[in-house]
Amino acid sequence: MRSNPVPLQEYLLQGSILEEHGDVLLNRLNGLCDPVETGPEKFYDHELVYTLRDPVPPPVVFRVRQAVEHPEAPWHLRFLGQPDVADKSRHTLVRSCIDVGCSSNVADFLFEMGFRLDHEYTVKGYLFRKGRMKVTVSKIFRVVQSGNPEHAEPLTKSYLVELSVVAPQGQDQIQDDMKGFAEHLKPLVMLEKIDHRRLQQM
Amino acid sequence: MSGVQVSIEALNECQIQEVTLDGQEIYVQPLSMSDSLSKLAHKIDFHRDECETKGKPTSEGDKEEEEEPPAKNAVFQPSLWPWDNMRTKLKMALTETSVLLDVLKIVKEKHYMVLDSVSIDQPEAKPGFFAVAKKRALNSAVSILSNGAERLRKSQEQAAKRTTPNFHYELLKLRSKWRLKKVGTTILGDLSFKSAGSRFWQSGTFEVTKNDLMPSDFKEGAPAHTVRSPLQVHIPSELESVAYIQVSIRHTQEGCEDLASADLQLPNSLPGSIPSDTPWQRRLETAQNVIFCKEVFVQLAREAVQVKSPLPHLVIGNQVFSHLFPGMQLCIALCHSIDKSRQSSIRPGPKPDHNQVLEHSLHQLVRELHFKNSYHPMPHPVSALLGVSKKRRNAGPQAFSRTELLDMTHSESMLEQIIRQARHFVVRTRTLDILDKLSEEITDLQIASHWCNLSSALESMVKVNITFNGYETFKALFALHICVDKIRVVMKDGRVINLSYEPQELNDFILTQVAHHHICIVQALAKLMGWQLLTSNSHIGVGEMEPVGNVQSIMLASPLGNRVIAVRSGPFSGVHVHVQKTPDVDTIRELHESKHVSLAEKWEMLGGPFHKVHLDKLEGRNFVNKMELLMACLSSERTDTF
Amino acid sequence: MPQSCGGRSLNTFNILLTLLLLIRVLSYPVPEGKSGQQTVEALQKQIEVLGATVSSNFTVDCETYGTYQQTSQPQHINILHNSEQPATCFAVLDSGNCLVADLQFDALMNKIKMFYIQKKNARVEAKGLRYEYGDFIIKVGSVVLGQSTSFKGVIVEVEYMPAVVVSECFGLMREFMFSFMPTSVIDATTNHWKTKNDAIYAPQDTVLQYLEHFNNFRKSAVSMMPPMQ
Repeated sequence: MRSNPVPLQEYLLQGSILEEHGDVLLNRLNGLCDPVETGPEKFYDHELVYTLRDPVPPPVVFRVRQAVEHPEAPWHLRFLGQPDVADKSRHTLVRSCIDVGCSSNVADFLFEMGFRLDHEYTVKGYLFRKGRMKVTVSKIFRVVQSGNPEHAEPLTKSYLVELSVVAPQGQDQIQDDMKGFAEHLKPLVMLEKIDHRRLQQM
Repeated sequence: MSGVQVSIEALNECQIQEVTLDGQEIYVQPLSMSDSLSKLAHKIDFHRDECETKGKPTSEGDKEEEEEPPAKNAVFQPSLWPWDNMRTKLKMALTETSVLLDVLKIVKEKHYMVLDSVSIDQPEAKPGFFAVAKKRALNSAVSILSNGAERLRKSQEQAAKRTTPNFHYELLKLRSKWRLKKVGTTILGDLSFKSAGSRFWQSGTFEVTKNDLMPSDFKEGAPAHTVRSPLQVHIPSELESVAYIQVSIRHTQEGCEDLASADLQLPNSLPGSIPSDTPWQRRLETAQNVIFCKEVFVQLAREAVQVKSPLPHLVIGNQVFSHLFPGMQLCIALCHSIDKSRQSSIRPGPKPDHNQVLEHSLHQLVRELHFKNSYHPMPHPVSALLGVSKKRRNAGPQAFSRTELLDMTHSESMLEQIIRQARHFVVRTRTLDILDKLSEEITDLQIASHWCNLSSALESMVKVNITFNGYETFKALFALHICVDKIRVVMKDGRVINLSYEPQELNDFILTQVAHHHICIVQALAKLMGWQLLTSNSHIGVGEMEPVGNVQSIMLASPLGNRVIAVRSGPFSGVHVHVQKTPDVDTIRELHESKHVSLAEKWEMLGGPFHKVHLDKLEGRNFVNKMELLMACLSSERTDTF
Repeated sequence: MPQSCGGRSLNTFNILLTLLLLIRVLSYPVPEGKSGQQTVEALQKQIEVLGATVSSNFTVDCETYGTYQQTSQPQHINILHNSEQPATCFAVLDSGNCLVADLQFDALMNKIKMFYIQKKNARVEAKGLRYEYGDFIIKVGSVVLGQSTSFKGVIVEVEYMPAVVVSECFGLMREFMFSFMPTSVIDATTNHWKTKNDAIYAPQDTVLQYLEHFNNFRKSAVSMMPPMQ
């Protein structure tokens, strides 16, 4: 039979930086990360979050992302598991993740399956990479008109900085690399493990 | 009666300020309206008024004041109530502000009062004092500026008359071009291409030191251009040389001993090693070149061993041999000289020609490898997997089939790529040679080849026109697409013929086309001249057989019908023209004379034998011209022309 | 040999037929005692006689997940894989909406297993040989249902590579199929096939046709035996 693909985990560190200092951070990342010839890579994505709420809580959340400026790129469907908060020894947030590229009718498909659109937003920012690590510096925009990503207003004036690695299970030493990288950005932005459940309870 | 003169003088309204020695009086200028008002205003004592008019008018208050003080004295208290002090003060403040408000209101109207700047009397100028103060201040400023200027001038002078450049200055220049880092007390640099994506094992570290030799150590008679720089670079010994990749394509008829004599003679212009007093930039660049060439060669050698091919590649010493075509071989060698003294031991062999284009292609291929190592397309949307090519990301959602996925994984090694380029080069040069040779050899008609300007390392195109001089409206046209190991011919009518890399095939083909063109043009000419086409055959089966190809023929009849021209054209046998005359006068005469045969009238109209035409003796600048003249002659009504 | 063109639009074009041959019912005059295996072999032999060459094996399988909610009707998701597109997973809903995704989609189905339960013994698989004949690709597969390895039917897939639009080459394909299959079988085409006249063909359409046939097989299997679910 078909073998299941290797289960992957996402290691995540997050932080934020005020808008006026964003340029300094971008410069630093430019120097630290892998060189790109045409300058820092910009991206503009539109994300829709679908949930399936049914008798059994917790609801299942699927995230559908589309690159607005690259309509030929496949849509991306993502599932993120619950992070393992209890383990204090881990420097980063670890959660299982499943990434699937799919055709563009995924939104209708999910709707028919029973998923309902929970919320949507657009993200605009810059993308850097260093080896396996992905660093994004982005601003989140709230979509005013559903389905129309053009009309979006920013949520805050600061940038969200995320450092993430997607790797197979068991490669915990990657967390040390991530922590080391985060140290380089230290005075500008503090990347740390953020407990999302506490945010939701607020 | 004359009385005393009484002079009346008005009272002096103005006061006299001063009487000068000559009796002139200087009056105090009367106060202007605003001045007098301000003077009067100053006299008003608001405080006093306030204290007195506590609800009672001043005139009446005089009497009562006398009564009050005793009354007040009796019940004198320090204060009527605790806030009294504050109250009075506030009231004073209120009065003042209201007065100010009133003044401002009046001033605003500008009817009665106008705000004017107060001219303050200049205080008495004490020029001496001020002069001294200014002088001191200026002095201090001057000293600061002159200090700065002095310093700048000194540094400029130093820079200008710098014969021995400063170590730090040189280090700065070095740092702007090369990667340097300080490890402990030593300064190390990196020559390798690792930052550009190379994965070669050679480290390429060089050390930078200070050169302590003084200028006085200059040897006498040293050439003027050698400048001792205070900066010395120490390059690892294996990189201290000159290297380049020699790419040559050779025939293998020389035999096997050529393989053994693998040492190549280096061109004389190349020095064995760079003398140590050349500027560091050149030395570093040469050393970097050595690393690059080494990487190219190592990569090729590795691929030569690993890649499976029908005829295995050979790696001998510093050379890689690959088979291109039967009898042709590609030789890629790493020419790396260590020092001059070793050159004498190298046997001077025939110097193979170095193909610079292919060498450049090799460099480009290695750079492409570096690029592929370092560049990875970014994922869009951002949450997609990192490090995967864009095509692979698309594979799932676009439902790529198995063949497409296999194509994606298939990649060509560098050696294979350079072999393909070399093959194309060989085929192209061969085609060029053949076209040139045939153009020269065949003088009767023109073979014009137009090479396409747009070509790649693996494909070129040439369009060949075959025409007769003076008759260019009729041409044989075909296009040759030169691929890696074959030539594809596209004819005017759309037929496609695939020729292999053998030069002979192209040769034969072109000759066939030439022969064909002869016939075609005669056919066209016939139409023009009014001659009738009797037969036209592309492959006649009579006469001598051609070694390659077919013989074509055409038979034309004159407008009057009494002459027939037969043309036979073959690629190797050339063109032959025969003419027939009707009626055959000689034979009929003979028959008539023999008296044994009686001929009916109709038999007298049979055609006679064909007589060969000596084209070389015919007038005309080329074949077609000759044919035209021949046809013209034969068309005339005069029966005695032949 | 058909050249592969740069664009992907110029690719597959399928027509799917079934040869429903259960052990007991014979649809065309074949002597008694012939099993499915023999039918398959006979077909294969005929194809080989035509001149086709075997290129490889092929597999198409389908798993079904269903949700049973009180308020709405049962909704099924079918996950299909086709060995012709090895990097892809097709997910089809009851309405015919088809999602083309990476293979990790299977792992996603695992995450919603509380809502969409995998149906037991509902796995259908068609396996067989793949033949290449000029511009045509012919696949003859035997269908197996659930855990049992018993033979349920035969599926034949014919693919004409150069064309993309159905209406243009329907006749050509029909004629080609006459050479090795009886007419009665050819004319009984699937519903999905009939709707696709002028649209450009896509791999999803193949999968939808397979699904229709698989559903037919399932229904017939259920009708044959007492329902097991």
